[in-house]
This record gives sequence, C-alpha cells and structure tokens, in this order.
Amino acid sequence: MIYHSIEEIRNQAEEKQVPMWRIIMEKDREERQVSQEETFETMRAMYLAMKQADQAYNGALFSPSGLAGGDGEKLHAYNQTGNSLMGVYPSLVMEKAVKMGESNACMKRIVAAPTAGSCGVIPAVLLAYEELFGENEERMVEALFLSAGIGEVIAENASIAGAAGGCQAEIGSASAMAGAALVYLQGGSNEAITHAVAMALKNMLGLACDPVCGLVEVPCIKRNAAGAVNAVTAAQMALAGIRSAIPADEVVDTMRRIGNEMPVDLKETGEGGLAVTETGKRLRTHFEAENKN
Amino acid sequence: MNIYDIIGPVMVGPSSSHTAGAVKIGYVSGKLLGEPVREARILLYGSFLATGVGHGTRKAIIAGLLGMKPDDIRIPESFVLAEERGIRFSFGEAELKEGHPNSAELLLTGETGKTLEIVGESLGGGRINIARIDGIATNFSGDYPTLIVHNLDQPGHVTEVTSMLGHKSVNIATMQLYRRSRGGDAVMVIECDQEVPEDGIRFLTHLEGIQKVTYLSLL
Repeated sequence: MIYHSIEEIRNQAEEKQVPMWRIIMEKDREERQVSQEETFETMRAMYLAMKQADQAYNGALFSPSGLAGGDGEKLHAYNQTGNSLMGVYPSLVMEKAVKMGESNACMKRIVAAPTAGSCGVIPAVLLAYEELFGENEERMVEALFLSAGIGEVIAENASIAGAAGGCQAEIGSASAMAGAALVYLQGGSNEAITHAVAMALKNMLGLACDPVCGLVEVPCIKRNAAGAVNAVTAAQMALAGIRSAIPADEVVDTMRRIGNEMPVDLKETGEGGLAVTETGKRLRTHFEAENKN
Repeated sequence: MNIYDIIGPVMVGPSSSHTAGAVKIGYVSGKLLGEPVREARILLYGSFLATGVGHGTRKAIIAGLLGMKPDDIRIPESFVLAEERGIRFSFGEAELKEGHPNSAELLLTGETGKTLEIVGESLGGGRINIARIDGIATNFSGDYPTLIVHNLDQPGHVTEVTSMLGHKSVNIATMQLYRRSRGGDAVMVIECDQEVPEDGIRFLTHLEGIQKVTYLSLL
C-alpha cells in the first residue's frame, strides 16, 4: 500500500471498496510492520491524549511570557450566555481550539497535530463532535487516521513546518486534515472528503508565520480557533455538494510553491509580520532582556 | 516519517524544537554521562538563548537531565525537582562557531566526578543532533543505542571496538570516525541496532590507547 497524493488514497479506497482511513492504516501497518490492533490502539492513544489535554485546561494559568492564558475560559463563559453568534457546535469548536493553544503555551501536555503550534485545530473539531453528536470512539479514531493520512501527503508534497512553509503549512494543514475528518464523520463521500481538504487549505493559502517574540502564542493561539472554524466551514460546503474548482492535490502543490516564494522573514523567524510591529518589537526587547538574566 | 509524526508526538508544549527537542538534548546528555548529575552548567545559543524563557527551554533541558522524556508533565517543575535532588545548575550564553540556531552546550559533572561536555542541536519536530562531545565533532540523533569511544589516533582501535561488537552480536547501524589531529585525540561514534552489553563496554575501557568510553543506552 503506497500513496503519494490524496487522489491515490481515494482511488485505492474505491478499488478495494474500503473507507479512505483503512488505506492509511494499512500503509502504516506495512511500513512499521505492526498488527492492525497495534496501530489502531496507538491512534486511539493519540485521541485519548487529546481528550486528556482538553480536560486538563486550566483557565487560571498564564504562559511564562504572560501573553497567553485565560481566553478559553472567556469563550466558555460567553458560550454559556446563550448569545453566541454561532451554533452550539462551532462555538464549542472555537472554545476548545483556544483552550488547547493556551495549554500548549502554558507547558501543558498536548498532541502535536501536525505541530505543537497548530495542536488545537484537530482536537477541537473532533472532541466537540464526539461530545455534541454522541459519536462512538471507534469512529473518532477512524477519522483521526484519515486526518493523519491527509497530513502525511501534505508533509510529503508540501510541508507541515512553519519554518519551511509559513503558517499555512501548520494551521492550514491542520484545518485541511480536520475538514476531511468531519466530512467522514458526517457520512460524506470520498469525493466530498477531498474537496473539504481543498477548500480548507485554499482558505489558508499565503498565511505567514510571524510569531511575536518568536513564541508560539501571538498570533498562533487565535489562529487555531480560525483554522478549526475554517475546517467546519469547508466540511459544511463539501457536504452540501459544493466542489472546489482546484483539486486538493493541486492546492497542496500551490501551498508548497507559495511557501517557497515566501520571504524568510515570514517563516517562523520572528523577523517579520506581526513580530516587527511597534508593539511586537517592544515586547521582544522586554523578553530578550529577561532571557539574558 | 510515519503517521505518528503527523498525529503526535504527545509532548509538553509549547514548541517541538524549543521544548521537546530541548528535553531530548538533556535526556541524551544525562544518559551519556552515565551517572546522576551533580552539577550542570548550561550555555544557550541562538534562538534557544533569545526565546528560551518563553519556550521553557531551560526547564526542558534540566527535566531531560533528570531523566524525563518530552511528554512528562513534571517538566515545568524541573528546577524544583533538581534542587530537591541537590543538583547545582546554572545558565549562560554559549560562544559557538557556526552553531545551529537552536543549540545548547552542556557542561556536566556526575556524582563520581566524571565530566562531560556536550553540544546538542534541536533540528525541529523534536529531533536532535549531538554535534560535539568533549570538544570533538560528532553527528548522531540519540535514537539508537550509541557507543562513543575516545581513543588515541593509532592503528587497531577500530578493529578492537568492532570485533567486540561482532562478538556480542551487536549490529552496527552507522559508524563515524573523527580526529583532532593525526596521531592525536580521536573519537568513534557507533550507532547500533542492539544494546551493547555492559561487559563489552567495560572491556573497552581497559584497552591501552582508549581514553574514554561513553554509552547511550535506550533502556
């Protein structure tokens, strides 16, 4: 079982008449020479670690820089007022994404998915789904396999590292991976899955990685919320039958090209974008002095 | 790369390079010392120095030296835990020539007085490279059981080491040789597919011309 594109995963799934996640699981089984049970349980452990991380959120914690903390709690409180602008599901997705991003900044245990900086997107979309739609855990793990396979293809044909491809490679990839999982959970077709990937990623193309003070905090945490809700947007469009004019694999290629053309200042160096705003520079001077003491 | 490099690893945040990689540098260095750390001087370089506090890099390195892995939830409390064990530690700026942007130099002293100087680089995604041991360039990941032999640059030492490994049924995955000068100090770094038995390592330490044997066990 070998694949190098999203289209190949889909074609193999349709030839063998199995869901796409199975092709991804089989490839891992062959590559690592492990049993089906072993890899399924490893993926389940990842899912449960995400759940633990979500439950371990502490709204009273602040990151060592003091720039991150407490915002997930604010969203939670707002969601409880009944005035939320969005439905219950996207509201909870947003809340969980911010919480996970903050937990990461506060040195709590998280699951990199695909990176630590983008660790909020996939768990937010999946955990909120399980909670509100009462899905069983096996299906959640299957959806996570699908996300992993999409991420694998993106990593091979473009990148999942902000230093190589900008934020589009981190939050954008996470969003595409989460969008695919959602379409699967909702019983969408393989075709719809690939279009959710394409649309989620298209919406994130060109996003720069410009962390203030070089820390995984500003703007990363709030971008987890944006990436997670974007995954819901793309999945909803795909499920409604909307199709991306540009196929998923071509969007992935585009992300690679844009990443290559992106100046180094905008690729996790903390030398461009928001990092060099007046406020960003002031914060940096402050923290650099602190770091040397 | 496999799917668990995509969904995973499970790690303490915030950064795979500045936190998880830093824990691993500490962990591998502690293992290489081969005995509990009594004193650690840690010198940071590049981005590790500039953004280390915000990323918890210092706490991460100390946590690793205490034997913690990147998913250990006690990482943020590592300073307190180290103090409880009576370990003295301090931090400073490293002066490296052409260092990798995420580098740390560790000057370690163990309980019996054994010393070790290590330069570790965090390459991203939690992967690391040990770039220098006791002043001599090296290049290994810490993902394999690794044998590091410091010897005089004389004929025969490589054979002695590889014969021992063969005799103990240990397969060599990679092998690198470095020397400071012809006939001077040399080092071999051997990544193995199996663990090297303790008596094999002890045997090497008794050989003439072999100055120091360091072993990274994954057990």
